[in-house]
Amino acid sequence: MMSASVARRTFATPVLLGLLLIAFALVAVAVGSKPFNQTIIDIFLKVIFVVGLWVFVGNSGVISFGHIAFACLGGYVAAWTTIKPMMKGMSMPGLPDWLMQTEIPYWGSAIVAAGWAALWALIFGSVLMRLSGIAASIATFAMLAMVNSIYSNWESVTAATSSVVGIPIIRSIWPYLVAALISVFAAWAYGISRHGLALRAARDEPTAAAACGINIPRARLIAFVISGAIMGMGGALYSHSIGIVTPDTYYLGLTFITLSMLVVGGMGSLSGAVLGVLILSTLIQTLRWLEAGVQVGETTIALPGGVQEIALGVVMILILMFRPAGIMGNKDLSLPKRAALETKGPKSPRT
Amino acid sequence: MSLLALSNVSVRYGRLTAVRQVTFSLAEGEILFITGPNGAGKSSLLRAIAGVTPPSGGRIDFADHDITGRAPEDIARLGLSMVPEGRDVFGSLSIEENLMVGTGMHSATRGWKARAATELEAVYATFPILKDRRHSQAGLLSGGQQQMLVIGRALMTNPRLVAIDEPSLGLAPNITDQVYERLIALRAMRKLTLLIVEQSSTRAMMVGGRMMLMRGGEILLDGDARALGQSEAMQAAYFGYGEH
Repeated sequence: MMSASVARRTFATPVLLGLLLIAFALVAVAVGSKPFNQTIIDIFLKVIFVVGLWVFVGNSGVISFGHIAFACLGGYVAAWTTIKPMMKGMSMPGLPDWLMQTEIPYWGSAIVAAGWAALWALIFGSVLMRLSGIAASIATFAMLAMVNSIYSNWESVTAATSSVVGIPIIRSIWPYLVAALISVFAAWAYGISRHGLALRAARDEPTAAAACGINIPRARLIAFVISGAIMGMGGALYSHSIGIVTPDTYYLGLTFITLSMLVVGGMGSLSGAVLGVLILSTLIQTLRWLEAGVQVGETTIALPGGVQEIALGVVMILILMFRPAGIMGNKDLSLPKRAALETKGPKSPRT
Repeated sequence: MSLLALSNVSVRYGRLTAVRQVTFSLAEGEILFITGPNGAGKSSLLRAIAGVTPPSGGRIDFADHDITGRAPEDIARLGLSMVPEGRDVFGSLSIEENLMVGTGMHSATRGWKARAATELEAVYATFPILKDRRHSQAGLLSGGQQQMLVIGRALMTNPRLVAIDEPSLGLAPNITDQVYERLIALRAMRKLTLLIVEQSSTRAMMVGGRMMLMRGGEILLDGDARALGQSEAMQAAYFGYGEH
């Protein structure tokens, strides 16, 4: 099987993952159906979210329940900056004048959203990153709840719990593909940087890492801000994919599906994050089709409703039982040729 | 001029006092063994020096800086590298990544990458086994290899003082011999100052240098390792007869 040289980081990893995403996009083009197109867009958005989550969770080992809050911040940036001024005046009358008059293209809103979410990640993170383990996880969850309740109640600028409509809908898959590719490459670059290395060292042995000169809260904060930016960008694009935004779009449902994808894929590696999304999304979609019914000759065979959720639960239990580190474990995709060369080297105790 | 100076350093965990008003200084280039039975406060003292457990009283100076209560990462930056007890390698990282982790702290200075590469080659020259397995996962190494890796990691930042907590813990005697052989060679090569905590004083007597004996959080004896080893005071301190 694979050699023990797990930690070798190669440029092949993001390239292979990128090619995989491009393959999904090409399938969507080949099929050419509108609902299928939307499915693929949804997969790309999940890739952005889960990769954003991985940058922090995967490298720091601290589970965050709060990252969807940054997607929420990003989602509303899209509403604030791209809806026509007239419509904004009706749904969100409390916006400051300059923001009311702002109308920028979708990609502009994605960039602003990334910056806005990064700013809040810096503010929240400066406090939260001093915590470790379960205390940090609970605090991130509190952050999610806080953002959600502010956005659910600040009626004049967020329209509270009612949907904000009028966000330009982008139906082409390419912007989403590009954003997913940017996320994958950014996450990879962070992972191989000295900041990523420092954070993984702190995850393995905090005392030894501090003795190596690593300021752990700062190393965590860097990851938190980068992952916040990716989540913010994803949040804005999510708004553009459906055209409306409500606070509950970015709440518990999205939090748990993205975390499950990360756990199933394996949070130890970037490949795990991406493959977790692709595998679980494909499974969910297949089950949806089967529930809707498949024509075989004259008869329609359909699974009873609810099988989708049950099957998903079973898959997760099986993976946690037999591969607790996720499908990829801590391994990253790399070119098979180099892996083969590596195994010819000194023998390792585990294969 | 001493490189490290402690005056009246105490370490307390709640109501328990692990180190009582310890005072000593260490000159550049010296090798100092801190020995003593279980619970003597050796590791607590080392952790206080490295900043892992802040001292509850006293003052610690290192390289003309007051480091009392400073964060471990700041102390490491000043050139005091600690190798914690239990050989805690970064298990999921490769050997080479383990070695490179510490070099990031000099990233603000110019040419740190070139210096890191030079240091890496130097560490590989001292521990060739690490080079052979540079891309292997560190968590899968044997105990002796892990000990060499953490010592190598401590050297990567080009420290002035390396403080090692029980390098022989859990190692076969012949592996311990190898580890010490490298340490002594390194010390000669780099003019390193070494502070080594060991439970047994046998190793200190073999290697030579200065030895301090701790018991009950206090320093009982301080002197030349070989001379102390012969003395009766030493045995009295270890086995607890006499005035204690």
